[in-house]
Amino acid sequence: MDNQVEKKKKTNPFLTYFKDLGTAIAKGDVSVKLSMLFMGAGYTFHKQVIKGILVTLIEIAFIIMCIFYAAPNLAKFGTLGTVQFEQVLDPLTLQTTVNDYDNSFTILLNSIIALFLIVCFILFWISNMKSVYRLQVLDNEPESLTKKHINTFREDVRSLFSEKFHLTLLSLPALGVILMNIIPIFVLIAIAFTNYDQAHMPPNALFTWVGVSNFKSLFANSLTVTFGYAFRKILGWTLLWAVLATLTTFIFGILLAMLINSKTTKLPKMWRTLFIVAIAVPQFVTLLLVRYFFGDTGIVNSICSNIGVTEFLKSVGLVSQHLNYIPFLSSEHWAKFMIVMINIWVGVPYQMLIATGVLMNIPSDQIESAKIDGATNFQAFIHITMPYILFIQGPSLITDFVKNINNFNVIYLLTNNAFITPDQKLANSNAKEVDLLVTWLFRLTNDYYNYKMASVIGIIVFVICAVFTILSFTRMISGDREGDYQ
Amino acid sequence: MKKVIKGIFHHLFLLILVVVWLVPILWLVVTAFSGYPGINKTHFFPETWTTANFEKLLLHPDSVVQYGAWFKNTLIISIFTCIISTAFVLMVSYAFSCTRFKGRKALMSFSIILNMFPGVLSMIAVYFVLKSLNLTNSHLGMIIVYSAGSGLGYLIVKGFMDTIPISLREAARLEGATELQIFTKIVIPVCKPIIVYQVINSFLIPWGDFVFAKLMLNKGISKDYTVAIGLYNMLDRSLVNQYFSIFCAGGFVVSIPISILFIIMQKYYVEGVTSGSVKG
Repeated sequence: MDNQVEKKKKTNPFLTYFKDLGTAIAKGDVSVKLSMLFMGAGYTFHKQVIKGILVTLIEIAFIIMCIFYAAPNLAKFGTLGTVQFEQVLDPLTLQTTVNDYDNSFTILLNSIIALFLIVCFILFWISNMKSVYRLQVLDNEPESLTKKHINTFREDVRSLFSEKFHLTLLSLPALGVILMNIIPIFVLIAIAFTNYDQAHMPPNALFTWVGVSNFKSLFANSLTVTFGYAFRKILGWTLLWAVLATLTTFIFGILLAMLINSKTTKLPKMWRTLFIVAIAVPQFVTLLLVRYFFGDTGIVNSICSNIGVTEFLKSVGLVSQHLNYIPFLSSEHWAKFMIVMINIWVGVPYQMLIATGVLMNIPSDQIESAKIDGATNFQAFIHITMPYILFIQGPSLITDFVKNINNFNVIYLLTNNAFITPDQKLANSNAKEVDLLVTWLFRLTNDYYNYKMASVIGIIVFVICAVFTILSFTRMISGDREGDYQ
Repeated sequence: MKKVIKGIFHHLFLLILVVVWLVPILWLVVTAFSGYPGINKTHFFPETWTTANFEKLLLHPDSVVQYGAWFKNTLIISIFTCIISTAFVLMVSYAFSCTRFKGRKALMSFSIILNMFPGVLSMIAVYFVLKSLNLTNSHLGMIIVYSAGSGLGYLIVKGFMDTIPISLREAARLEGATELQIFTKIVIPVCKPIIVYQVINSFLIPWGDFVFAKLMLNKGISKDYTVAIGLYNMLDRSLVNQYFSIFCAGGFVVSIPISILFIIMQKYYVEGVTSGSVKG
């Protein structure tokens, strides 16, 4: 019986949420009903005067916010502003006067914040109604030994440091997350539906809603708009890159860890530290350095041409005849190859560290008994070590994959200023063959101010990442063992 | 005998790998001491050796090189980032690990998913939010960028707190301690090792970050840059031939403290990455 009740509650949390509100309004006394308008009324009537005043103050603040902040912004939210920026130079006083223009971006941002505040307030209002009703029930209970005591204000404050401590702890970090993560995501989504670009830059120009036309142009392909072409090419390379980067570093990381862990190795700790030194240097320094290392006139190229490697590659056909250098980072296929190789250089020490940790926990009796049964080293590796590592690291592999989709540093630092696309269609969309979606997005915003298309790309990447994130996430959560030690 | 040969080959192979991994680092170090200011395109080792690059870097700032100021900026930003992030992460971890409230699991899941969305994607929006608050090209803005969302990265510290025996907290509660006292007097001291990890980890973020710094400080003056942006700008096409060896010197100087901190931290790094997945 109890189980059934619990099940019902679990399946319909939303229903109970509104049902409780309904009960509060229907069964509440005059003061509770009055709380619908004056939020503090219920508290004040039921002996919690200070709380009542505070809640009413919040309500007043909210109303003031609505009148002076939300209303003027939301009124223009439909058009994102109509008054164009104008500057008039007064020839007599030589002073410029600027008219009371609309800034589309400010309107957009403020409207989103205002909507956010309004939603928060509605939730606050609902929970207020419920707690006022609970207070009424508590207050009307007949005097008895089991009757719960109504908290004074002082006790309420104290509870924030004892049983409600989590509210105190979470409020500041949550505020930060709202400011840095949640509001930007909403802004990003909104911009994708506007025509915000270089021709529509506030404050000098207005931008407005254009519906889904940006999404259409991402898949369109005409002589002037080549986003569809560029998008397909870059998406393909992004996914290929993410798979290659994740697998290569993963496999070579395990191999390197096993090489160092092997019983033959003297001083394994020293070897490990030497590899770690390579990644301890900040990534932007090493990557920029490597870019010059492999530059068209860089040192590797001059060494290669001295010892005849360049000529050899020319004769094999890997380097085209009219070049007298190896285009490590300046021709498409070479650059893609080099990026993956350099990423191995960057990523393998990390994976080696992790794999070392995992390998140390591997049950050695299994491997030993397999060897007694006549398994070779290789068989033991394939049938025992690998499945174990995959089991432990499976979820983090997917996380790595998502991280590689967004691996900005490696691609941008290696190819910016070094790679120029020969493909006119890609150049029209400000893209390059070696770009990932994120580096394309970054260039679109940082160099070309094409915010609308960047937002659309951002949303697409979001969706791709979300799918993989949720894939790995369900596995991570399902095996939650937080209670094990407690 | 066979074993010895095998051992020699084994170590020879490792040595080759180490050389491959350390060649760029070595190039960084030797170029930092090079007498030729541009990129040496024909020789790996410089023809003339000098310490002038370091002198220029540290003692004689000019319009391009303001290394002392950059170092100070990055240090200030990273100290504040480190304090705020560590506080946030500890607060969130304690709330999720040691207190029980309605919607806790849902909130935890939501945070993990939100944290996996990379910041690079929403950076334009972050930039404009901060611009409308007038915080771009300011260090306060950078600190907010690096630390505001840090509460989401609670997983590792929470995992550590989960291993603290519940009896410890129960006993304190029986003695009449409030949750605040349990948090500050009992849980935090026990968590010291993982706090070290968290502190170093968040301290390193501003030193290695390139994207946000470029976006946020781009229009500022050279004096306000962080080390990453300052060094990057030295490699501008018009400057690289005069400043490349100074760039290397700057990279070398910044690498020393970072490497030391990273090597201290690396043993926790493994725990951190696998803690999300080792649930079997």
